[in-house]
Amino acid sequence: MSAARLVLAHTRLMLLDLMRSPAYVIPTVVFPSMFFLIFAAPNARQAARADFVTLSFVAFAIIGVTLFQFGVGIAAERGRPWERYLRTLPAGPFVRFAARIACALAFGLCAAALVTITARLTTPMDLDAMQWLRLAAFACAGAIPFVLFGIAIGYWVSARAAIPIANIFYLLLSFAGGLWMPPRYLPGFAASISPYLPTRQFGELLWSIVGAGNAAHALPSLAVYSLIFAILAAIGYRRDERTRYA
Amino acid sequence: MMMTYLKLDAVAKRYGSVRALRDATFSVGAGEIVAVLGPNGAGKTTALEIALGLRAADAGTATLFGGSPKSLAMRRRLGATPQLSGFPDALRPREIARAVAAHYPDPADVDETLAAFGLAALANRRVGDLSGGEQRRLAVALAFVGAPDLVVLDEPTTGLDVESRRALWDRIRALSGGRRAVLFTTHYLEEAETSATRVVVIVDGAVRFDGTPASLRERFGVRRISYIGPDGPIDIATGDTDDYVRTLVHSGVAFRDLEIATTSLEDAFVALTESPR
Repeated sequence: MSAARLVLAHTRLMLLDLMRSPAYVIPTVVFPSMFFLIFAAPNARQAARADFVTLSFVAFAIIGVTLFQFGVGIAAERGRPWERYLRTLPAGPFVRFAARIACALAFGLCAAALVTITARLTTPMDLDAMQWLRLAAFACAGAIPFVLFGIAIGYWVSARAAIPIANIFYLLLSFAGGLWMPPRYLPGFAASISPYLPTRQFGELLWSIVGAGNAAHALPSLAVYSLIFAILAAIGYRRDERTRYA
Repeated sequence: MMMTYLKLDAVAKRYGSVRALRDATFSVGAGEIVAVLGPNGAGKTTALEIALGLRAADAGTATLFGGSPKSLAMRRRLGATPQLSGFPDALRPREIARAVAAHYPDPADVDETLAAFGLAALANRRVGDLSGGEQRRLAVALAFVGAPDLVVLDEPTTGLDVESRRALWDRIRALSGGRRAVLFTTHYLEEAETSATRVVVIVDGAVRFDGTPASLRERFGVRRISYIGPDGPIDIATGDTDDYVRTLVHSGVAFRDLEIATTSLEDAFVALTESPR
């Protein structure tokens, strides 16, 4: 009955539900590695290039999990009778939210691990121990604005609209952010907006691990994005609470 | 002095221009089985939502075990049902029941509770594969699995056939009594008649009646007289059957198969909810 035990119980329930849903698992966990294999691996013949694109696709994988887990997940669940029932249980809103974060961590880890395993098997990608540690830390830090973005989508958008909207943001922002191809190869318009996108800054943060990105600029940029998305998420959350549970 | 678990005191609630409750006052105490009845839109659901801490009252007070229904400590003594068709399809009854039981300080045994509601053989099936009736039984089982003092059942039997309804009520009654109290809503007045120790009727957002099923019948009951007259069968409701029969006999009209029916709770309910304020 301690908070930790409740978080565990809810995480377990949420994980079981998600794991048994191929419509969730395949796009979030399998697609990033598949795209890597199709688009990135054939051109990643040297170690430096392989490291770079692997880091790009780790970012891509994590963004997918956050937008689907939080954006689509919250939008789908907040109107459901099941969610209403869970609120009658003696657990604070924090418990359900912590469970959602734990699930996102689990799925994010799976998706990112699958990308790196695919890269190890098919490209000369090679990071040293220190670089792996930095990747783990930067991946978590860089995920924060996208978690908040997902929550904002979840509370501002209806369940029906959340899937296409999350997908559009996911794919367009990943492309223009230079996660599918290095920024210098982006076409004109995408190249001009790229530096202002959170996806680009997430990429820069991870690329800095192999000396190919600017972390000193990426971190404050991601912090600003986090603040903006946090405000949007908070407004959306309050609005939803007012209409449903006032 | 009976211990009061839940008390709504002059509770009012409006949604925009719609007044859902204007004066709801009733209580539920240890050992009681209380039925909340009323026409659709009368405010039953809102009253329950306020009792469960899902919504806050605009005016008046709701107290659960002497505290706020929003407080976690109070809700640890409360169990409720999910609404119809509310389960995530991919989960299994045992998984759900275990997670729910984890919220309570001294829960009932999960498997025993599932078995008590006839779900032992279905405990590891996908919820999405269960029939509507089986899902209803699971919903009710979840309200009991935490071994709470107060169980709130929102239309526990809606959509079930007569036999399943009776069987489910047998199970609910078997797990009630003692310290435990049950508060439920229903569209089936027969359930209130056979299972409730007290009936609260809400009409137009206010409590119109609060008493035993028998007293509801007595106060608002109308007896029915039916017979076959010269022009065919007659079936009427009247407050004074004696007087009616006297007049009928004196009138010299031919009739047969005279029957005076004991009033049903349903008749009393209709008389109550349709009577002007």
